[in-house]
Amino acid sequence: MAAETPALVLEERAPVSLAQRVRDARLPWVPIVILLVIVFCAAFANLVAPHDPRANDVRNKLQPPFSSSEHILGTDRLGKDMLSRLIYGARTMLQVTAPSMVVAILAGTIVGLVSGYSGRWADSVLMRITDAVLGFPSILVALLIVTYLGTGVWNVMIAIAATQWARFARMIRGEVLAIRDRDFVVLAQIYGVSPGMIVWRHLFPNVINTLMVLTSVSIGQVILLEASLSFLGLGLAPGDPAWGILVAEGREFLTQAWWIALFPGLVITVVVMAFNFFGDWLRDYLDPRLRRAG
Amino acid sequence: MTAYIARRIGEGLVTLIALSFVVFGSVHLTGDPARFLLPISAEHDESVYEAQKAAYGLDKPFIVQYWNFLIKAVRLDFGQSFTARRPVQEILLERIPATVHLAIAGTVLAIGIGVPLGIISAVKRDTVLDKICKAFAIFGMAAPQFWVAIMLIIVFAGYWGWLPAFGRGDVTGWFPSWSQIPDMLAHLILPAFVLALAIIAAIMRLARSAMLEVLDSDYVKFAQVKGMSDRVVIWKHAARNALIPVITFGGISLAGLLNGSVVVEVVFAWPGVGLMLLEGVLSNNFPQVEGAIMVSGAAYILTALIVDILYGYADPRVRMN
Repeated sequence: MAAETPALVLEERAPVSLAQRVRDARLPWVPIVILLVIVFCAAFANLVAPHDPRANDVRNKLQPPFSSSEHILGTDRLGKDMLSRLIYGARTMLQVTAPSMVVAILAGTIVGLVSGYSGRWADSVLMRITDAVLGFPSILVALLIVTYLGTGVWNVMIAIAATQWARFARMIRGEVLAIRDRDFVVLAQIYGVSPGMIVWRHLFPNVINTLMVLTSVSIGQVILLEASLSFLGLGLAPGDPAWGILVAEGREFLTQAWWIALFPGLVITVVVMAFNFFGDWLRDYLDPRLRRAG
Repeated sequence: MTAYIARRIGEGLVTLIALSFVVFGSVHLTGDPARFLLPISAEHDESVYEAQKAAYGLDKPFIVQYWNFLIKAVRLDFGQSFTARRPVQEILLERIPATVHLAIAGTVLAIGIGVPLGIISAVKRDTVLDKICKAFAIFGMAAPQFWVAIMLIIVFAGYWGWLPAFGRGDVTGWFPSWSQIPDMLAHLILPAFVLALAIIAAIMRLARSAMLEVLDSDYVKFAQVKGMSDRVVIWKHAARNALIPVITFGGISLAGLLNGSVVVEVVFAWPGVGLMLLEGVLSNNFPQVEGAIMVSGAAYILTALIVDILYGYADPRVRMN
């Protein structure tokens, strides 16, 4: 019995309460609240928005912001309510960026895991392709894709995925290289575990942190890319509620209606900032080693 | 060193060939250019279609067509632009100087603003000035270029009327005459600033951290102990050493600026290769897109190559790797 006592003492270390852990994590509350608001607006746009974002109200066209309680952020040239269009824009933004990010992350992770674990020629070939994609500015690759596939939301999503997977592949491969010779992997190999199982059960769980950090620091860039492509008129049709398109429409009314361009751009900036801050925090929280990488 | 340069040039060539293959191959994957070019009246006339095919060399095997494409691409010969009805080569030669001017102006601004701000915020660490610089950097990395451009146009061109909002003035070609220079600079300021914004932010952060590191070193402390004035210590002793990585980054970002300019050129109606590229994309003008992408890609690869070689000279660790 005496021998068990020290072990018991170790286990009785004061349990850390959830509240304490949240306090210790020093969560970035402002960005989190902003992001929650955006997600809420996207999910319940039909309940939050005061008007139909596509409804014209020509009698009230080009109303300046804060001039009537009916249209708080003003109206555009056909009298569409700017606030409602911004709120639906959050939904559009998530609908376009989320699936393309998921595809990019899946593809990048698979390429990174295979490349890092298999090594040899598969690694060389995959990394050459990755470098080629990384070597060119995303906007150029995206334009090339849209040229040949045509404009439209689906093709913009393909373009985003096609430019973003490479960063994930590079990073995951680096992580895999760092752990694939560790004891637990070698022991699994000796034990006769199949390569697929080693990758799935032993390597993948070890790169999840990196994956989360890289995702959160990339989202800001992806939102900017998506907004740029919509601004250039390559994504959704004019009149659809996407933030980039709203700014593009405001461009035609620079001197008469500055608010059409101002608010959507401001929203993009704030959302990207929120994601950037959150990404920086997550990086520091999950893996201080990565502090300089992003 | 020679081996390093040779390897780097080889890598650049491989990337260039890969790019040309993708650009050329995607036309053939996504449709039949000969069919696309047919006039509507002759849409069902197979003899016109065959003649068209032969005229553009589209009846030859893929690999022969690709080779012909490469040979012509070297001379910037990408055929006729569908919409402008003149050779893409002519358009390219008009557009390249505009894009290069913009990229150079952007780089000058990025370094000219980013470096001093970075140094100041390192020297005045944790003061209000440092915090303002930091806020500017955070904003510069998050704000979409096209939006900043429009806001600057509204304020500086619309409201105050200080600067022109669109275009390049009456400048054409590489070298403006002396009398054109003030007008040319006025047209350059806004687009160059927008182009530089994100890079200013990055250079500022880089310069700040490099400077902080140097300020902590013994030789800077020794210079201070010797009784030299702060200005001499900061600008002559510390800054010189802190700036090596910053200048390298500036070179690499020039390569990015040559291409990052699509959005900026569109907003400011700047008659460069980026605008030409978007015009081509929106009108399915394949020869024009091919020409613009190949030129942008080649410029990017070439700049990155030069920067890497210079970097190899500056830092032996790079070329040994």
